[in-house]
Amino acid sequence: MLFAAGGQEVKSESKTLEDKVTMYASITGIEPVIETFNSESGITAEVTRLSTANFVSTVLTEFAAGKLQADVLQAPLPVLEILKDQGVIKDYVSPIGETYPEWTRNNGGIYQFGIEYVALIYNTELVKAEDVPKRYEDICDPKWKGKIVMANPASHATTISWLVGLKENNVFGSEENWYAFLEGLAANSPMFVKSFGPTPAPIESGEMLIGISMPKYIITKAPAPLGWAHVEQPLFGSPRAIAITADSPHPNAAEAFMEFWLSDKTTGILSEQVGEYVLTPGVYPPIEGIKDADVRPIRDLSDEEIISWGAKFEKIFAAK
Amino acid sequence: MEIRITGLKKYYKSEGNIIKALDDVNLVIPSNRIFTLLGPSGCGKTTLLRSIVGLETPDEGEIQIGDTVVWSSKKKIFVPTEKRSLGMVFQTYAIWPHMNVFNNIAYPLQNQKIPRAEIEQRVRKVLEFVQLEGFEKRPATRLSGGQQQRVALARALVAKPKVILFDEPLSNLDAKLREETRKELRSFLTELEITAVYVTHDRVEALALSDNIGVMRNGRIVEIGDPKKIYFHAEHQFVADFIGRSNLIPAVVEKKDANGSIVRTDIGQFVCSQTDFDPQSKVVVCIRPEFVELVSADEPKPVNTVSGIVESMVFVGEVYESEIKVENTQVMVKFPATVDLSPGDPVQFSVRPEHCLLVTE
Amino acid sequence: MIKSQTRLTWVLIAILALLSLSPVIMLLIGSFSKGLVQIGDFTLDKYKAVYGDVSFYGVLGDTCVFVLCSALFSTVLALFLAYLNNRTDIPGKFLFKVISVVPMMIPHVLFAVSWGLLLNPSNGILNLIFKDVFRMSHSPMNIYSIGGMILVEGRLDLPIAYLIISPAMASFDVSLEESSRVSGAGNIKTLLRITLPLLRPAILAALILCIVRCLASFAVPSVLGMPANITVLATYIYKITTTGLIPDYGKAAATGMCILVLSISLIYVYRYLTRSSEKFITVSSRGFKPVVVKLKGARIPLFIILLILLFVLIILPVLVLLYTSLVPYSMVPSAKAFSMMNLNHWKSVFTDSISLVSLKNSLFLSLVGATLGTILSVFVSYVIVKVKTRSAGVLESLSFLSFSFPGIVIAIGFMWLFVRTPLYATIWALLIGYIATYLPYGIRPMTSAFIQIHSHLEESSKVCGASFLTTVKRIIVPLLVSGIVSGWVLMATMFFRELSLSVVLSRPGTETLAVMILKFSDDGLWGKLSALGIIMIAISTLMVVSANLIGNRFKPASD
Repeated sequence: MLFAAGGQEVKSESKTLEDKVTMYASITGIEPVIETFNSESGITAEVTRLSTANFVSTVLTEFAAGKLQADVLQAPLPVLEILKDQGVIKDYVSPIGETYPEWTRNNGGIYQFGIEYVALIYNTELVKAEDVPKRYEDICDPKWKGKIVMANPASHATTISWLVGLKENNVFGSEENWYAFLEGLAANSPMFVKSFGPTPAPIESGEMLIGISMPKYIITKAPAPLGWAHVEQPLFGSPRAIAITADSPHPNAAEAFMEFWLSDKTTGILSEQVGEYVLTPGVYPPIEGIKDADVRPIRDLSDEEIISWGAKFEKIFAAK
Repeated sequence: MEIRITGLKKYYKSEGNIIKALDDVNLVIPSNRIFTLLGPSGCGKTTLLRSIVGLETPDEGEIQIGDTVVWSSKKKIFVPTEKRSLGMVFQTYAIWPHMNVFNNIAYPLQNQKIPRAEIEQRVRKVLEFVQLEGFEKRPATRLSGGQQQRVALARALVAKPKVILFDEPLSNLDAKLREETRKELRSFLTELEITAVYVTHDRVEALALSDNIGVMRNGRIVEIGDPKKIYFHAEHQFVADFIGRSNLIPAVVEKKDANGSIVRTDIGQFVCSQTDFDPQSKVVVCIRPEFVELVSADEPKPVNTVSGIVESMVFVGEVYESEIKVENTQVMVKFPATVDLSPGDPVQFSVRPEHCLLVTE
Repeated sequence: MIKSQTRLTWVLIAILALLSLSPVIMLLIGSFSKGLVQIGDFTLDKYKAVYGDVSFYGVLGDTCVFVLCSALFSTVLALFLAYLNNRTDIPGKFLFKVISVVPMMIPHVLFAVSWGLLLNPSNGILNLIFKDVFRMSHSPMNIYSIGGMILVEGRLDLPIAYLIISPAMASFDVSLEESSRVSGAGNIKTLLRITLPLLRPAILAALILCIVRCLASFAVPSVLGMPANITVLATYIYKITTTGLIPDYGKAAATGMCILVLSISLIYVYRYLTRSSEKFITVSSRGFKPVVVKLKGARIPLFIILLILLFVLIILPVLVLLYTSLVPYSMVPSAKAFSMMNLNHWKSVFTDSISLVSLKNSLFLSLVGATLGTILSVFVSYVIVKVKTRSAGVLESLSFLSFSFPGIVIAIGFMWLFVRTPLYATIWALLIGYIATYLPYGIRPMTSAFIQIHSHLEESSKVCGASFLTTVKRIIVPLLVSGIVSGWVLMATMFFRELSLSVVLSRPGTETLAVMILKFSDDGLWGKLSALGIIMIAISTLMVVSANLIGNRFKPASD
């Protein structure tokens, strides 16, 4: 039994809750939430982390073969919307979800609960206070050359969306200025990593001084000397969303999990312990200055847009 | 070129025991002759050969080839193999499989930076000599055992060394080919002015091929001599036994005069023509089966006639190999294929005094 | 007797075809399919898209440089080490075993990461030391470069090259060299004109196998190549599967096809070479120990080089891991770093339930998988070596196929395959995938062991009236023990750190250690990654040592 597959036994005592629930999640560091859920509900939640890049393909491959293991899916909103179009998502109405701001719901079972907010993260020990960027374009200053880390803008969907989000929200006043920002960034030869995950390590160690990364690492990586640049412009990020699968093997447990996830308690844990920016009004991560920051969701890019922008960014950054 | 070996020692350690591969070997290998080191496996003959070539480093002693000391423990001289200008034929032939016949043979000349045209000419000549004309382009992997052996010989000879060494070069050939090659090899070597050192454990090979034979045992040279001396007049029981089958009968010398000696054994008295042992000394009479002569009942008995009972008669083609019981001793003899005897028959035979070899124990 | 052998051959062919052909077929179908993640609607679009793109050829160029140089580096280093070990009087020969086996147990991601920490241009520890000692204003080395990638990848593939070259060097007929010495050539000339040319098949075989492994290598290009924006085929495929929200696996499969075709062709060249090597390398018929080349004055300098290699290859990366596992976040060694050291990463690894599940799974996969794989290898090698029918030839070709599988490509084929079976999302899917992909590593040592068994040994047993099974049990197995042990060890250590298949096939409950390593690396948790990595290395070492001990007990006493 030890090595038997997870998720294969199907208990169907109709009204009682199943004893487990499986979640596929793209968000990291959610262990505290899962532990609380397990101890409070008596249901065992199992989480498989899927990167955003693998999310759609894995779920669709399993779904097409009738072998989808997951009850609950957590991913950026556009990912869940693609899956909804394929019929993977259950049109579930969450009582708690309906108390969220208007713009976060009415997505046919998909609920947004947070923003994967992106900022300029720097090493607080090695960067002098007066050098910390005041605006995004400050990192185009040649003094940062060879000192910037970022996820690969040719392939990392969230970074691509963020860069496009800066343009669409007219952060720099004009499209030319936005281009100038990109070219200035490229001229500083940033070091590329696969995704956001590996961005803080080189900043912590001083290998790099600053990066395009997420403020949540200030919490999860403590006591690493990380800080975020309080730029004058707003912060942007893709909305994080959650939904139940249409053919969930543990439908009752899945609903219980969903309600738990959207509850104030969970969003509290997420912001308090994981540093997430959640959409529950009045709840902020314990990061200095975030409470007053203007954090905005960016528009979902379609898959084609991401690929074509990725190709454009690849050219801009290769030209350095 | 003469090879002079003095006080050569080489000890190995194996499982806590010290094995004396060379135990104070002193030897002079004469110039331009075929010298064979003969002995059972493990006697040290190959170690000695490899020490001469320089593939093995002895512990003590000195080796001198011609006028050059190539190794000396006292003078701290070590001339590496490649500088000793020798030729060698290995047991496995060691033909390089990635080269053709020409390149195999030309290799020693190429190492001497000899011009290409001369190399070609000399390779052709040596190929002619070993009767492999036209084999230049043949890949080494497509040679028969006998051909490989000739290529190996050609390679050893091509640089015209003054000394050539052979490490059991015929042991991988089948019996018939071995016999032919042996003859050829002897004629090749006698034609050239070259000192040949030949290692083998095969006594027939040693007898047929050599000008001189050195018999080795336990890291020592026991006896040196030409084939006839080793065969007919061995001084040691070990040599006599190793060089051919023998009846070895313990004896005591009774009398000795200028014409010979008389010894006493368990199967009677023997008259021997040897005179090198004093009365009362303990010796061994060595009688080879092929020197025994049948004596019929009605003819007068010659000296050294012995009577016994036939125990066995085995027909092996040319002769009968028979065992005769004399008193309580079994004697091996060879009778002509024409005799008519069967087990149980009484029989008389004699040995001429010159064929009664006396050796030390 | 003959009949049972024929039946055995066909059963094995069926098993191997299922194992190694089916994922390739799935991949092939997928690459011609229109749908992004589904199969069907055949089209050539994916191929046109991949091979019509000019940037692809730039990637191909970088790949060639990376792959060829890395393979050359491993082979030359392996040759140097094998020569020192087998043919010279260098002291400390047990070190060679350490150098040749240990790098195999270090997960490649860890190795790449620790080199990043050592040699990054900003504050790599070694760079800082060099700057300090030689008073340089710039870092002398940049690991994020094609040169850095080659250096690290070359070291990672060293064991493969060494394991091929060293036995060839050891079984070399020494009289071939001795006759060269007698012919007037010195040590160096003999090495260049006789030894190396004779070892050419083994050297080329090692080179080719390294090329194939480099083509499939992902850890080094992603950790060290991506920061410098250097893309090779493996990371190009990764980019295709990660750009955008719906990855185009068909396009990835179409790209992967060129690696697969290249690898398969190379593997067949390799087979051709190793076949002809049998006629070249003749085992000395005498009991002479190979003559040792006396290094004299070079003995100590070469030994120091060996120690430096050992330090650089094994000790340094492991030390970096140990250090990283103890500091709370990535930091350059300093008084502050040492004062902040604690065991938090270790504690969190040991209390994390998924880490423990993955440890259990990896142990199961490694022990059971390697055992099943070894049993299958024994039968396959037996048929390949001893049954000389045409069907045995088919089996041999099949058995080599998965040597050429680039993990990142073939994993997709396996996913498409397993999702159509009840095995999907079970540990058995991983088990079967592992065995299918790594079977050649079990078969190879076993085949050489079988070749060593003289046919007459078996026949004498048969004449004695022993049945086929008794022949196997009484005669062959005891002689095979060393082959079995090395095959098992190779498979067990590879399974224990397997990544490319696991990451695609593992699901909740079937996580493996390498998947955890990748998860930690994706999340930038270098501390936990290092702690888990050290645990993996320790367990692998334990497995290797105990397998060797057990193997020694079965060997005949005379050995």
